[in-house]
Amino acid sequence: MTSTALEPPAVGEPAPRRRQATRQKLTAHRRKEALTFYLFISPWVIGFVVFLLGPMLFSIYLSFTEWDSFTAPVWVGLDNYITLLTDDPIFMKVMGNTAYYSLISVPLGMVVSLFIANLLNKKVRFRKLFRTLVYLPHLIPIVAVALIFQMVFAPEAGPLNQALALIGIDGPNWLMDASWVKPALILMSLWQAGGGTILLLAGMNGIPKELYEAAEIDGASGFRQFWSVTFPQLTPVIFFNLIMGIIGSFQVFAQVFILTGGGPDNASQMAVPMLFDEAFRFYHMGYGSAIAWILFVVIMAFTALAFATSGRWVFYESEVRQ
Amino acid sequence: MSAMTPAPTAPAPVAGRTRPPRPRTLSAFRSGPLTYGLLVILSAIFTIPLVFVVSIALSSDTTVSTGQLSILPRDFEFSNFVDIFRTSLPVGSFLVNSVIIAVSSAIGQVLSSSLVGYAFARLRAPGKRPLFFVVIATMMIPAQITMIPQFWIFSQLGWIDTFLPLIVPQFFSNAFNIFLVRQFVTRIPYEMDEAASIDGLGFFGIYARLILPMMTPILIAIAIFTLTAMWGDFMGPLIYINSEDKMPLALGVQYLTSTSQELQTPPWNLIMVGSIFLSLPMIIIYYFGQRYMYEMNLSAGSAGVK
Repeated sequence: MTSTALEPPAVGEPAPRRRQATRQKLTAHRRKEALTFYLFISPWVIGFVVFLLGPMLFSIYLSFTEWDSFTAPVWVGLDNYITLLTDDPIFMKVMGNTAYYSLISVPLGMVVSLFIANLLNKKVRFRKLFRTLVYLPHLIPIVAVALIFQMVFAPEAGPLNQALALIGIDGPNWLMDASWVKPALILMSLWQAGGGTILLLAGMNGIPKELYEAAEIDGASGFRQFWSVTFPQLTPVIFFNLIMGIIGSFQVFAQVFILTGGGPDNASQMAVPMLFDEAFRFYHMGYGSAIAWILFVVIMAFTALAFATSGRWVFYESEVRQ
Repeated sequence: MSAMTPAPTAPAPVAGRTRPPRPRTLSAFRSGPLTYGLLVILSAIFTIPLVFVVSIALSSDTTVSTGQLSILPRDFEFSNFVDIFRTSLPVGSFLVNSVIIAVSSAIGQVLSSSLVGYAFARLRAPGKRPLFFVVIATMMIPAQITMIPQFWIFSQLGWIDTFLPLIVPQFFSNAFNIFLVRQFVTRIPYEMDEAASIDGLGFFGIYARLILPMMTPILIAIAIFTLTAMWGDFMGPLIYINSEDKMPLALGVQYLTSTSQELQTPPWNLIMVGSIFLSLPMIIIYYFGQRYMYEMNLSAGSAGVK
């Protein structure tokens, strides 16, 4: 319809011929438009084929081979997967570590950011200052965060153990102790939880005040108002953060690589650092590819789980409740 | 109480001055000493590591090597901020490399994503819908899947130990940015395109002269997002960069901790200065770009929810 508007009405021409000419013009115009579309999206198409689809297919193939990246790959069938799942000395432990880290740090981070957002959503003085202080750690690049926390976790001079000493607790040697190294990494992730707070605050801003008025008239307590009004209204944001958080935390790398190198005794070794070691340290490219695909399946499974259960607890405004 | 005043007296404000009495704050938004107490404690917890960083960065070498660190600064060795450029590592080059990588990546993403996003928002073509579905689906694929084959591709091209494996892929756009641009352009009234087309602009003209200038907010958001992501990227440089003079700061600062093995303790004061150099630009960029990032957060939020 746009194209017809472009045609100045040809005066004096017989009607049928004019319509035919227009249609021809129109299809030519359409063809040009389609051509332009494919020309415009060609960067994505090329990138998709060269950097994603091609590598993905190659990666599937590699996961069935033994390959050191210098000589030709040797087909080994399912061997890499079987070894990983049944015979690898650390892989199961590594996946356990990764799940432990992800499934504790993500929900805990959500609780912390929700708690802070709820505080900041009240009428408080210096709100902007508090918000900035809480958000600031989120802006620090992860490499710097890891280096900073190497100091924070220092057994003697570190502020964490100094604070614990104040209340009479003899803090552990966080990064050198197999039972404390994962909680240490989780604590570190909580330091950046303020990032979620900003999203939640934006969500809280959108909750109609009438809901709180009604709740107050009904005599609902502060906690009850949070649980019955704020939380349900925020579930879409929480749901989004949950999925993104799980996907992201399963891919944790720099923290582990810099702070612990996976140690002690592989207590903090995670999936991606292990993949990195296998591929780029030992040149087990086939084995590394198999790790990547198992990781992919696990991430997908958790994402699917989050989606599948979301119907039970995510509330959308537009939803008609029965 | 005042909110309960009978209706007839409340309305009809006289001469703009007298408004109906403000209802008191709802209990959900009321703050007490507990609120402030919790906020102060939490802010302190979040801030202490940052103060500690500054304290270490200002410490003298002897304070560091004897492990006498404290949360509040004891020394004020501002010379550390100069000394970091006099180590055995080319810290000046680290900074320059980071800027080159981050800025060219941002340029690549802005150019490619705006073009592709515009096409998906405006141009009609057979196969567009399934293609867009593919774009969205690619967001789910973790980077680790393609890491090993990409390494092979780039090593075949002879690009190892150059910036190219980090920068070049950014010129082919990414799914998330395409999605953001498409959402943004869809909100621009189509009548503007029609008017421009009557004025004789072709598709490229409409893109370059009409839509592109109007896309500025979302393109700034994409530029900021790419800048911060590439500035902080650790794994990419770790895989592809070997020589010290080509390392970006994120890799170089970490390298500071591992190269000084002959010393008893790494030069933590200089490492913390490096961490400040790594962090400060991100804080500054956020400060000036936060309204654009806010817009992007909102679109991102709706991307996940729908």
